[in-house]
Amino acid sequence: MNAFNTLERRTQFVGIGFVTPTFLVIALILVYPVVQSIVLSVGQSSVDGFEPYRFVGLEHYAALMDDERFWRSLSVTLIFTAISIPLELVLGVGLALLMNESFHGKGLARLAVLFPWALPTALNALIWRWMYNADYGLFNAVGLESGIIGEPVNWLGDETLAMASMVIVSVWKTSSFMALIILAGLQSIPRDLYEAGRMDGMSRWQEFREITLPLLKGSIMVALIIRSMDALRTFELPFSLTDGGPDSATETLSLYAYKVIFEFVEFNAGSAIVVVQFAVIFLLSLLYIFTLRHKD
Amino acid sequence: MNKRPRIILYSLVGLSVVISFFPIVWLVLTSLKNTAGIYSWPVQYWPDPLTFQNYWSIFTETPELLRYVLNSFIVGVGCTVLTLSVGGLAGYALSRLRMRFAGVLMVIILSVSMFPPIALLPALFQTFLNLGLLNSFTGLILAHTGLFLPYTVWMLASYFRTLPVEIEEAARLDGMGFLRIFFSIILPLSWPGFVATGLIVFIFSWNEFPLSLVLMTQDAMRTAPVGISLYPGEFAFPWETISTATVIAIIPVLVITAIFQKQILGGLTAGSGK
Amino acid sequence: MANVSLQQIGKSYGGAVAVEAFNLEIRDGEFLVLLGPSGCGKSTTLRMIAGLESITRGDLLIGDARMNNVDPKNRGVAMVFQNYALYPHKTVAENMGMALKLQKMPKAEIEERIAGVADMLGLTAYLDRKPGSLSGGQRQRVAIGRAIVRTPEVFLFDEPLSNLDAKLRVKMRMELQELHDRLGVTSVYVTHDQVEAMTLADRIVIMDGGVIAQVGTPREVYDKPATEFVAGFIGSPAMNLMTMQSAADGSWRSNESQLVLPRLPGFDTKGANTIRVGIRPEHMTILDASAVGDDPWILPGKVMLAELLGADALLTLSVCGETMTARVNGVDYPEQGQQLAVRLNPEQLHAFDHDSKKALQV
Repeated sequence: MNAFNTLERRTQFVGIGFVTPTFLVIALILVYPVVQSIVLSVGQSSVDGFEPYRFVGLEHYAALMDDERFWRSLSVTLIFTAISIPLELVLGVGLALLMNESFHGKGLARLAVLFPWALPTALNALIWRWMYNADYGLFNAVGLESGIIGEPVNWLGDETLAMASMVIVSVWKTSSFMALIILAGLQSIPRDLYEAGRMDGMSRWQEFREITLPLLKGSIMVALIIRSMDALRTFELPFSLTDGGPDSATETLSLYAYKVIFEFVEFNAGSAIVVVQFAVIFLLSLLYIFTLRHKD
Repeated sequence: MNKRPRIILYSLVGLSVVISFFPIVWLVLTSLKNTAGIYSWPVQYWPDPLTFQNYWSIFTETPELLRYVLNSFIVGVGCTVLTLSVGGLAGYALSRLRMRFAGVLMVIILSVSMFPPIALLPALFQTFLNLGLLNSFTGLILAHTGLFLPYTVWMLASYFRTLPVEIEEAARLDGMGFLRIFFSIILPLSWPGFVATGLIVFIFSWNEFPLSLVLMTQDAMRTAPVGISLYPGEFAFPWETISTATVIAIIPVLVITAIFQKQILGGLTAGSGK
Repeated sequence: MANVSLQQIGKSYGGAVAVEAFNLEIRDGEFLVLLGPSGCGKSTTLRMIAGLESITRGDLLIGDARMNNVDPKNRGVAMVFQNYALYPHKTVAENMGMALKLQKMPKAEIEERIAGVADMLGLTAYLDRKPGSLSGGQRQRVAIGRAIVRTPEVFLFDEPLSNLDAKLRVKMRMELQELHDRLGVTSVYVTHDQVEAMTLADRIVIMDGGVIAQVGTPREVYDKPATEFVAGFIGSPAMNLMTMQSAADGSWRSNESQLVLPRLPGFDTKGANTIRVGIRPEHMTILDASAVGDDPWILPGKVMLAELLGADALLTLSVCGETMTARVNGVDYPEQGQQLAVRLNPEQLHAFDHDSKKALQV
């Protein structure tokens, strides 16, 4: 018999009509550029089309292997991610536990969590850049007056300190996002589990270890992966805070790729960097989707 | 709970609030100082004299900074409207029409949402150059729409799923067609979802940096985060101007966040769970 | 008004069969109830009639027109949903008049019809309210009113009372009955509640696992269940069912207990080795322990548990080692631990084939 009668066929037809605009936009803005980046990365051409495209194979990738600045930016990105994410996680869990309590002034606390998220990253970097200022900055002033530091510190002028400063800005801004996701997970844990725990004689710490943490694993995974992907593509934070300096100490992969493409105008070499970064993030995103599917 | 943990709880909450707010407070204080007050050592904790001179100067001397904010508004509103209309239809079809391959399409949308913006830049720049879309609102609105559509589709789809299917079936028995059901039943019932999603997309668009940086090369077309970040130029940082412009540029998102905190909170966390 | 004819109708999703092909004639003006546990295919069948679910095979006729590919709105059916499915952003009047408005009926006529139906259902005072401000019972009435206003050929009900509390359910059930008596419109009603089915139905269709187990009047399905499933599903508490083996002398013996029953009168047990014998709890007579004797239908037993329900009491008995439930008068009944005798009335016995689960021919 006829497996598709008109009801299903019409639904399918309308559905295709409804999703087409979305997929057109996604194809133009997201899919085509990524494919084109791959094409660019294995060829040589000029932006304006003056120099016609010619296939050069993996030449640009080979050049990357010998590019010290590429390796440096890769390691900056990885180190930045590896340090800031665990800090964010600890603070995020703490904040979420705090927000899950009942207390007066919840509205203000909620704003305290949302404001850092809502601030534009680039402008936030400028705000902090001013506070880090070696001559007139807030941190040196408070540090000196309280005796924590003996002399003014050039926070963004030293390679290690600059990285640490950048991590602090990032942790300040994004821990709250982590907290929001974990809070949602916390609130989905049934209250009566804790009541059962109390009947079993659990202490608050045991409650946390035996009930909260295991049931929070899914939300924590989601938060970790979303944030890691974000951290791996960090761009405007160093752009506005340090411009990648001093001496490329805070130059992330994204920032380096941007400079190669738009400052050195090496579209093809820059595309190779972008493709490498894309591959790393895409693998991570597959892991994310797998985790989500697994959770269901 | 007994008294000691209450005290600890409130001090921790207090500490979090202080840490969250002090950069913004310091920014506002800086913008209220005169130039001598900003560059003074020891640092002035409270503006002396407290002056609105910097705000006045922005309006009179550097109106291009206000132009950036206006640009951000145009792009943000345009992107929000376009994203909600395009993504609303798709979200509805994928969550409610029992389409074949709906699951696969949702996963595709989720995967492309993770593309790093930098990976789009070389080709997008080239394409927009060829299409004459560089330095146009249309171009950046389209780019932002592409960037935030996946999130929108997922969010709205999860809102649509919370509506009872029977209402749509009743509407079909009443004789409504697909478009009519969408516009006169689904839209009125899911406006809280549209509001939350729209606010978040507006904030996303307002804050977006890499595409706005690259696709708007003319100074007059820049959005607020990009224009202000690039304002310092080669040599000196005029902090009195930058801090004031930053305050003006973040006020819209902070006000929106403050007013709609519950909706935004709900929207952010709903997207993570599903 | 119209008859509904389902001819070899079936539904499958991909390879999975949800409803096996079957034939069913619903007579004009009949109140037909589709009864069964969740997942039995009753809702799918109803939705196929409504046009909300496509029909994989077979023909659906309403009146005498084939409706398989006709849009729901053009089938002349109206449906009452389990959770009412009222448009929350529209008033009661708008909810009730939506279909008519979409049919482009003149406004005055719509208002007139709504007023008439609202009056009949006692909704006149609520016409300008939104569903959110109504009680569950009122919402249910609006949902029914919405269906009546359309003056459909067929009413479809999808578990309409299951969201109401027990008291309201009884009241609405009676209202539905009166309504059907008054309007006489062909109705198809889906429920998992056997009381609703027994009280409302002209005929009951009992479904199990996508297959129709029996079609009959409430009397027929109770008195002559066609399958073991129907026997167990209709009646509360459920029928006692025992597995018995045939013995050389024509009697039946249980392998698990000492229960022995004489030759079953009136059943065609030829060739059956193992059968299932059933008796309803209300068809067992409790006698004094001394009554055990010549009558082979009187068996010794012991009360394991006695529960008072109110007018009745339920006894959980051990009869020759077999656990059975008996329903007895609640005024004076034996207490726990008491020895007694039970008479199984042979005219009220049921017997089913062990393998096919079908009732043995009388």
